[in-house]
Order: sequence, then C-alpha cells, then structure tokens
Amino acid sequence: MAGEAGFEHRWRHVRLLFLAFLGLWLLFTLFPLYFMAITALKTTAETNLTVPTFWPEVFAFGNFAAVFAEATNFDALVDSFVIASLNTVLSLVLGTLAGYAFARFPRQAGGENLAFWILSNRMFPPVAILVPMFFLFDSTPWGTDSIWSLVILYLVFNLPLATWLMMVFFRDAPPELEEAAYLDGWTPFRAFFRITLPLVLPGMISVAMLCWIFAWNEYLFANLFVGTDVRTYTIVIPTFTHGSQTLWNLQMAFSLIAMIPPVTLFILLRRYMVRGLSLGVVKG
Amino acid sequence: MRQAIVRGDPSTYPDWFDGKRRQRPLIVSRWVPIAMVGLPVAVLLAIVIYPTVWMFYHSLRDTNITGLFTGNHAYIGFANYATVLGSERFQDSLIHLLQYLSFGAVLQVILGTVLALILYEVVRSNLWRTVILILVVLPMMLPPSIVGVLWRFLLTPSNGAVNQALLDLGLISAHIEWFNAGISLWSIIIADVWNWTALPFLIVYSGRVSLPPAVYEAARVDGAGQWKVVRRITLPMLKEVIAIAFILRFTDAFKFVDLVYVMTSGGPAQSSELPTYIAFQRGIREFAIGEAAAYAIIIFAISAVIVTLFLQYMKRVMRAQGLA
Repeated sequence: MAGEAGFEHRWRHVRLLFLAFLGLWLLFTLFPLYFMAITALKTTAETNLTVPTFWPEVFAFGNFAAVFAEATNFDALVDSFVIASLNTVLSLVLGTLAGYAFARFPRQAGGENLAFWILSNRMFPPVAILVPMFFLFDSTPWGTDSIWSLVILYLVFNLPLATWLMMVFFRDAPPELEEAAYLDGWTPFRAFFRITLPLVLPGMISVAMLCWIFAWNEYLFANLFVGTDVRTYTIVIPTFTHGSQTLWNLQMAFSLIAMIPPVTLFILLRRYMVRGLSLGVVKG
Repeated sequence: MRQAIVRGDPSTYPDWFDGKRRQRPLIVSRWVPIAMVGLPVAVLLAIVIYPTVWMFYHSLRDTNITGLFTGNHAYIGFANYATVLGSERFQDSLIHLLQYLSFGAVLQVILGTVLALILYEVVRSNLWRTVILILVVLPMMLPPSIVGVLWRFLLTPSNGAVNQALLDLGLISAHIEWFNAGISLWSIIIADVWNWTALPFLIVYSGRVSLPPAVYEAARVDGAGQWKVVRRITLPMLKEVIAIAFILRFTDAFKFVDLVYVMTSGGPAQSSELPTYIAFQRGIREFAIGEAAAYAIIIFAISAVIVTLFLQYMKRVMRAQGLA
C-alpha cells in the first residue's frame, strides 16, 4: 500500500510519462502517413535516391494528375465504388430483414443460436472458401472476372455484420410503439417503415458505412477473382511499376486519393461507427 | 444442473421469470419471420457451407488441377491430412502463427487499452481528445494492400525511410535487413500493429466514455487516488469490453493473409508463412487442390473451436447487458 501512496504522490511525473508515451505512439502512427504524403509529391528520381529525403527537393504536384492520366486507374476507382455500393445495398437489405426478424420474432426466426451462427461466418478464414468459389464462378457464363463475383463474395463478411448489427439496433427500438400502431389498425408493414425504421436509421447508416469501407478496402478476393475486365483500386496500386522500377510516388499518390472516402466517412460518423466495430456490444 | 439464481443478474433467472423476453403474440403470419431470415441464411449456405463441403470432399481425394476438370480424382482417405500435418512447412507456419498472434493481436489489445486510458485520463481538453483519436485511428481506414505497399516501401533495407531515420537518430549503425529470414515476420507484425492497434483503442476508449460518471464521483468522495480508481474501478468495469476487442482482433488475425501476401509473399524461404497463406498458395498458385483443401479444413476446424468459445463468451456478455 505504501507503494501505491507513493505512486499517487508522483502522479504529476507519471502524467508526463504517459503523455510522452502517447506522443511516441502518435509519432509511430503519423510518420508512415507523413512519408506517404511527401513521397506522393516527389519526382520518381528522388524516390530512388540512395539516401531518402524527408522533405521533397522538388514538388511534383503532377503525380496526382499522372495517376489519372491512364484512364484505367480512374476506372479502377469506379469499379471499386460500384462493387462496394452494390454489396452494401445487398447486405443492408438482407441484413435488415433478418435483423428485424431476430429482434422481434426471435423464436419463430430460429432463435439466438441461428443469429450467432450467422455472426460466426464473419469470423471464419476466407481461404476456406476461396478455391471452391473460384471454380464455381469460373464455370458460370460470366466467369470470375466480373463485378458480380465480388459483390456476391463480399457478402461473406458484410452480410453477417449487417444482420447482427441490425438485430442489435432493432432490439434497442421499443416494440411498444409498434404495438400501439397495430392497435390503431396499422399493418405491420406500415408500422415497420413508418415507426421502427426511422428509429434505427442512425444505426443503419453506420452499418452501411462499415460495410462500404470493408468492401472498398478488400484485397484478397479481388486479387484472385478479377484483374482484366474489372480491376479494383486495391489490386491496381501494387502494380504501378516502370520496368523493374517501382513507381513509389504514383503508388503513394493513388493511395492518398483512395484513402479520402473511408477517412472522411470515419471522421463524420465516428460516433456511430464504434458501435458497429464492436458488434454492438459497446455503446459509442 | 440448474444454475443458481443471482439477484440482479437476469442471465441466471429461470425462463418463466424473464418478463422482458416474454413471448409476444405474433402479429404476422408465422412464415414471414422464416422468410425474412431464410434469405440471408440461404445466401450464406451457398457461399460458405457449399464451399466448405466442397473442400472437405476434395481434402479426401488426390485432386489436382487437371483432375478437377476431367473429374479424374480418387479417394485416398486422410492421406492429404497426413501430408499437411507431417510437413515441416505446416509446423513452421504454426509457430509463425503463434508468434504473430502473441505479438500482433495480444500486443495490439494491450497497447490499445493503455493508449485509450491514457487519452481519457491524462488529456483534459475535449478538442485534443477528438483530434488525437482521429489521428490514432487513421491507419485503420487504409486497405491492407496499401498498408503492405507502404510498409514494404518504408522498410526497404537499402534506402528505406525507417532505416534512414534510425541512422539519423543514431539508434542503429548499419542498415537493418528488414526482409531477411527471421526478421521478415517481425516486419509484418510491425505493419500489422501499426494498422490495427486502433481497433482495440477505439473500442476501449468508447467503453470508457460510456462508463457512468456517478461511480467516479463516489470514488472521489471516498478519496481514492487516480491510479487506484483506474485499477479498482475502470479496468474491472471494462473487462468485457476489452475481451470483445480481443475477440475481434484475434479472429481477424487468425484469418489474416493480405499483408503476408503483399509484403513478403511468405518469404524469404517460407520464413514468414502463416497457415492461411500456405492454403492459399497451394490451392491457387500450385493447384494442389486436395492438399490445399486439407489445409483449409484444418484451419476451419481450429477456428471453429476458437470462434465457438468466443461466441459463448459474447453471448454471456450480451445477456448480462440485456442485448441478447
């Protein structure tokens, strides 16, 4: 106990120590991002110097334009956007239906164990399904190289998330309001859309954003399934090379551009996102 | 045996006593909920269960790529499993996985918890808290392929930024060969810690914010010091939240393969391979379907055990919170 009292006495110093630790961590977090940003502004020659520079000698703002000089790079962003959005809509519609059923009619919908089974799908390694799905899509007329293969495959991780989170949000919405509406002669359909859905809308938005970010950032499936007709930006960035030389500045410039949507979404919606990221267990 | 009923803990009440979850009269036809749940379940059966069954079938056969298309593969019992379990490559990858989980996932949860509590207890201004929170969480918003490319670039041995910075600071006297055997896995772990410490950080921080202030006022009235409050009140109350953060990180880390793929391709000489990466490599690049299937089923079985245990715990936590 004496030690503890001594600790309290030294709290001022300890506080400084903690602040220093936080500062070090910020340095560790931000240094790579800083270097990413300045590399995006360097010329190709400068990125290949034997002694790297920590401030660009010449600012090459043209890198950002150079990224989009090739039309395929812009197409990659479009493909990523379309795939992520379609997948989000699909996950959200299916997830909302199931989540509502689990929250309001638990016994008729299969109960808690089925809900937990759906969630468990999110936690299994994707390699277990990669190979068979590849050959399954390969045998369809449109092949693996289409947006639909990714839109469907991304359901593996987004559909369980959407179902589970919507279930948690619907549980928070009081059923008494709906029951009052039934007494007024409303149909369950109308009560759902007019009363309960507006109540869970903030939660729904956070689920949509999370699903969208996960689909936007996905790499493994995209790398294997698409690449010729459809290319997502995540698989395009590592391919920026000139002969044997890696064009780091263009890779970093493209990465910075691709970071904008998820970072913006996070800053705007961080309050809601915590609930989603913790599977609804932690109230944000 | 029946669990003892604990006053104030609804999860131990008998079913008939549970007023909150009593059966409500069903307002819709009993087929409606079944249809609502049936759609997602059907989708998941198609994209998860079908492939798993397919994998199990081929893990018992000597399938390779030509055999797969001509239908020419024979039943060979558990030979594929014997090959996998007996191979040094697999055993090494298990050790790598253990190293990665303990220094990746576990370290991330500890660091995230410490940082979250420091941010909450030590930083006073709300503006600074928000700014620091956003800055710390930034790496998490990056896709794994960019994180991999970025760290491969930073850790380039000859002219990478990290080596140069360490040299300038006088911390090292020669370039560290970040992608040599024995170090390359550590490089991946560093990149992963950079990328994902934000998740436990964010979860624990939010958990701390939502703890009731009344408890802390009571502690202050009793004259408890800050250190004691953190140790005796905050940490015990955040136990479940920290556990959930750990579960999420652990299951994610277990299926993780992207950074290995982008940063080192498992090399040099297979020194940074994880089991999931080998399964991927054997099945997709080397077309040993049968063996890859055995890998996948083994990984699937291990994660089934882990996930089941975790979900049991989550179920308990959510019951206690009245969420499930």
